[in-house]
Amino acid sequence: MTVNAMTINAMTINAMTINGGEHQMTRKILAAATAVAFLLAACSDDEEGGSSGTESTAAGTSATDAPETTAAEAENVRQVPDEYDTIQAAVDASAPGDLVLVGPGTYNEAVQVATDDLTIRGLDRNEVILDGNFELDNGIRVLGANHVAVENMTAMNYTKNGFFWTGVDGYRGSYLTAYRTGDYGVYAFDSINGQIDHIYAAGSPDAGVYIGECYPCNAVVSDVVSEYNGLGYSGTNSGGNLLIVNSTWRYNRAGIVPNSGSYELCYPERETTIVGNIVHGNNNGETPAIDVALLAMGNGIVVPGGVLNTIERNLVYDHDKGGISLVPFPEEDPNDAIPGEDEWTVSCEEAKQQMPVDPGDLVIWESMRNRVVGNVLEDNRHADLLVAAVTVDASTLGHCFADNTFTTSAPNNIETLAPCTADGVGVGSGDWADGKYDILSWLGEEHPPSVDWKTATLPELQPQENMPDAATAPARPANDVPMQVDLASIVVPTKPAG
Amino acid sequence: MSTRWWAAACVVLATAGCTNDKGGGEQAIVLHPPTDVTSLGQPDHPIAGPQGAVPQFVVECAYSHAAPDDPIVAPGEFGAAHLHAFFGNTTTDANSTIDSLFAGDTTCDQRADLAAYWAPALLRGAEVLRPVKSTAYYRPGIDVDPKSVQPYPKGLVMIAGNAAAEEPQPLSIVAWGCGTGIARAVEPPECAQDRNLRLIVTFPDCWDGDNLDSPSHKSHIAYSSGGDCPEGYPVPIPQLQFSVEYPVWGATDDLMLSSGGLLTGHADFMNAWTPERMQMEVELCLHREVVCGIASGRTSG
Repeated sequence: MTVNAMTINAMTINAMTINGGEHQMTRKILAAATAVAFLLAACSDDEEGGSSGTESTAAGTSATDAPETTAAEAENVRQVPDEYDTIQAAVDASAPGDLVLVGPGTYNEAVQVATDDLTIRGLDRNEVILDGNFELDNGIRVLGANHVAVENMTAMNYTKNGFFWTGVDGYRGSYLTAYRTGDYGVYAFDSINGQIDHIYAAGSPDAGVYIGECYPCNAVVSDVVSEYNGLGYSGTNSGGNLLIVNSTWRYNRAGIVPNSGSYELCYPERETTIVGNIVHGNNNGETPAIDVALLAMGNGIVVPGGVLNTIERNLVYDHDKGGISLVPFPEEDPNDAIPGEDEWTVSCEEAKQQMPVDPGDLVIWESMRNRVVGNVLEDNRHADLLVAAVTVDASTLGHCFADNTFTTSAPNNIETLAPCTADGVGVGSGDWADGKYDILSWLGEEHPPSVDWKTATLPELQPQENMPDAATAPARPANDVPMQVDLASIVVPTKPAG
Repeated sequence: MSTRWWAAACVVLATAGCTNDKGGGEQAIVLHPPTDVTSLGQPDHPIAGPQGAVPQFVVECAYSHAAPDDPIVAPGEFGAAHLHAFFGNTTTDANSTIDSLFAGDTTCDQRADLAAYWAPALLRGAEVLRPVKSTAYYRPGIDVDPKSVQPYPKGLVMIAGNAAAEEPQPLSIVAWGCGTGIARAVEPPECAQDRNLRLIVTFPDCWDGDNLDSPSHKSHIAYSSGGDCPEGYPVPIPQLQFSVEYPVWGATDDLMLSSGGLLTGHADFMNAWTPERMQMEVELCLHREVVCGIASGRTSG
């Protein structure tokens, strides 16, 4: 990013100080009358002054084509737009347990949800469109309301997020499309017991799907396609029974990126289980991108400063840098000191009570004790498997590697240097200096600059799979999450055609 | 005690396109000195550290414009103030009123926030540095019961920090930092490349319940301590922490604020949030104790 100082071409006012001993001097006060150049010519649409989240228009809606016998006939169903003009009105009228059923149409709303146990469902994922018009912040934002499920709709052009849960116990986002959003596509923050499934997310400078600041998170991310984002998946300071499974992460700057950092709470990132994913072609320098995405570009699964993660049976190919990269996260201007291993069991709730300390200008989060087993990797051009450290010798990090199908590693022979046992770390042998990865040169590289999220080139939005029985299924608040995942049954995915 | 300096100047507002040029000719203008007022109290400690620990809502606003105007200290007097950098409302000038702000537009990502935010301009030599953006964090004051926090009354004005300070101000009110880090300093530190310099100003969080403004522009508001508002200021209001980000790294010795030396950091706020939205944010985020948003990780707006 480059921001040029504006050089004022205005006049200087010579203001004389009238009294004042040692202060007697002429002060030049730049009067800079030139506001104009920077006035946003945005003086805008007719809606100024109050297009807040509760205002909305359900444009172009038509009567739903739902069959005669529908969920809509149940007492607890609130129909939009038939009964309520806006999703917000229906949500506000709802009691816990209700189903807000939204018919096809474009809704210029930023919906706020503060009622527990709601189900908010679109009748057709591809025709129920929440559009922020680059002015509204979040498509649906769930604020401290527990067990809210959002299903079967699309959110686009929001300045913040498509779908956002914060401060909740129990959440589910299913069959959702998030397209062109200013921060994240589908986002859970400071929330536990959740599920994010059947998602298409494209065009966020941060992550298509993000779960942050939770431990233990107790959540599942499954059946996602995330592309053309800064990051496919990001999970800052999250983990603890957190599963990322059976999904595709492609054509982002970087694919799956759980990381640690003290800019938000509950560090380090730990105990995320990443299984059965297809991760490819994450070298896309044409996306919008936050700083971390710039730095992580060209990696499939990269764990900057994360610990105790399990990465198994993923297919990872076509990356300029690493297929699976266990690397440090250098954090300038940090907000706290890095916790020692004895603090990795501290829950997020406990962490909120601790006072941070100033650790100086820079901390380096080393990635440690991650387990990488049974993955299939090819054409990852720095190395299929990559380990690096800055503050310690990489041999002391405690990672282990076994049964991967790969061609290259850095350092060489990684599975001999750092083998796994059935449930732990084996005794390695060999020379860690042989083929050691030069992480500092990576950090010093130039990166393609971010592209404005509002105008970035994205693939045209294709019709996405609808949830089954949207019109007839009863309300299903998120009190049965996360779903059970039989990890043992997951096999390495096969390479998609093309 | 402190040196008040009054100055007068005859200014030709001749710059083409100057929005504030009300007559085109010569005007006699009284330059107001930086206001020398100390707030009642200060936060118990600087508010810094990782986001996500306490309830908040956050608004990021692009830089709007600069002008030597101050609708709080020098209303109606164009060119009478030191140079200010304005954020949020795009119409802010010497004549701004709450009504005029509501008729304006905003640079903020929260469109219902039509408030005017401003801070002194930061100069490097003769060059005015164009800020990258501002971030407004709204939270309960330290240890204040979040459920007790009331929305700002429509039209409340506030000034935080002392524009005439000659000594370091409390870090809990005015501080400088790099990036989004925890470190706070009384003068601009040398930041690493790409870690933008920030001025961080923390506003009072208690209100007298009656006055939208006061002659000093500060005596109607005060800081809480120990989670309680002081006598005479019975209404807890959101604590606004306003941060301005500049594209400044490295050496700081040629920097100065338009209000005087580098110790004169301050910021101003005129509340023109749509009242319904302000109430909604206070209730949904602060009363429910939810982190409603996080300032983005982008270094550029």
